[in-house]
Amino acid sequence: MAEKFHAELDTLKKDTVKMARFGRSMLRDAVDAMVRQDTQLAESVVARKEKIHELEVELEERCYQLIALYQPMAKDMREIACTLKVITASLRIGRYGKVIAKIVNEISDAGNGPAIRSIPRTSPMMSIPHMADLAIDMIDDAIEAYDTSTLRLIEDFSSRDDTIDALRHSIFREGITHMMENPRSLTRCTHFIMVARYLERCADHACNIAENVHYMETGERIEIH
Amino acid sequence: MTSDCIISTHDLNLWYGGKHALQSVTMKIPKNKVTALIGPSGCGKSTLLRCFNRLNDLIDSVKITGGILFDGQDIQAPGTDVVALRKKVGMVFQKPNPFPKSIRENVAYGPRIHGITDRYALDRIVEESLRHAALWDEVKDRLDDSALGLSGGQQQRLCIARTLAVEPDVILMDEPCSALDPIATAKIENLIDLLKREYTVIIVTHNMQQAARVSDFTGFMYLGRLVECGQTKQIFEHPADELTENYITGRFG
Ligand SMILES: Nc1ncnc2c1ncn2[C@@H]1O[C@H](COP(=O)(O)OP(=O)(O)OP(=O)(O)O)[C@@H](O)[C@H]1O
Ligand SMILES: [Mg+2]
Repeated sequence: MAEKFHAELDTLKKDTVKMARFGRSMLRDAVDAMVRQDTQLAESVVARKEKIHELEVELEERCYQLIALYQPMAKDMREIACTLKVITASLRIGRYGKVIAKIVNEISDAGNGPAIRSIPRTSPMMSIPHMADLAIDMIDDAIEAYDTSTLRLIEDFSSRDDTIDALRHSIFREGITHMMENPRSLTRCTHFIMVARYLERCADHACNIAENVHYMETGERIEIH
Repeated sequence: MTSDCIISTHDLNLWYGGKHALQSVTMKIPKNKVTALIGPSGCGKSTLLRCFNRLNDLIDSVKITGGILFDGQDIQAPGTDVVALRKKVGMVFQKPNPFPKSIRENVAYGPRIHGITDRYALDRIVEESLRHAALWDEVKDRLDDSALGLSGGQQQRLCIARTLAVEPDVILMDEPCSALDPIATAKIENLIDLLKREYTVIIVTHNMQQAARVSDFTGFMYLGRLVECGQTKQIFEHPADELTENYITGRFG
């Protein structure tokens, strides 16, 4: 029985890694779509929303079944607890990707009137791609740490999260400056500020995964700020 | 925990002839708590349990070194009153083993042996013990029926009542539920939870979920050694020793 359980748990973890990468790709593509004003790519991200919800339901269900059938303990219990958290975090990350993708459509040149088209969109964007890269790197490392039990990958999450917070503040200040200088930039800048907020939340979800991987491996709870 | 511990062993070793069955076991049993002993078959759980009321004395080849303190007294010391010890440290076995007598007689037997003859006093003890063992309501109208007519779960609770009748401090249980169905098992588990208000319970079980559910402290034994002993929550959430981890998660052997 224990062997069957461990085989099922291993497959469940592999599938959870796939779901996490799926959510991560939604965020990556949404940011790329925004940078490149690629509304088609943005559409495809929005379309992936159903799939990630399905994955969430299916994988969660499998966690509950393993708990009900085997009443796992010790490391087995911690692995399932962590897996449930990874599933939730992945769903959230994917959903933020979808939200960002929707913004791409709202502020794109195509399909909008001249009022929107004339809005400057370069400057406050400058740190958003960089911030997105850092947040997605954290997501990648958190998934990898979960997949391969490598705690080294999440060691410096606290300082990486500080950088993310600093970037969000700077985007916020930059956005305010632009909006004061040019009221016509209000819509776009507000969206950019929101995107920075979403990216920060995504990095928080990466931290969340990291905390749970640490618990899964050691049984100790840590908090990453 | 030290001040509230009722039984402790220090560097306890036990041999069955040439077989070294307990190896330097040092542990403390906290008072009014449930302590579970878990570990693979043959690791020495029953042997350790039997040390606590000197049931191993009945086996000729046994040799014991090290100390076992009960209430601060060395129970291995010469001159120890073993009958009095077994009254204080009672035992419930794996298979319910009522005497082929009436329900009333099964419970009254112990107190009678210990000198209580007053009919009224005995009736009171019978009722109290059966109530404590959560059996009273099921048998109060048939106290003079044979104990062998009870179901397995009822028989086991009768054996617990029989143990309680002599007012022990500690109740040893060696796989008390392994012959019972889930409902009877749940009743015994509830009972264990109630018993710890007044008694100290030490239970051997192969059912890890049961150990996790009923006990406050858990000791994991392996090949005659006590590998790890601690709070049940900790042992089942993140044991300190890898052997314990492997055993609990079924990755053994
Ligand atoms: N009377 C005896 N004579 C010789 N060896 C014995 C005796 N009783 C037990 N042993 C041996 O001592 C070791 C410990 O036995 P014990 O019955 O304490 O194990 P246990 O942990 O209770 O196992 P189980 O879970 O199967 O009940 C075993 O190797 C067993 O074979
Ligand atoms: Mg045994």
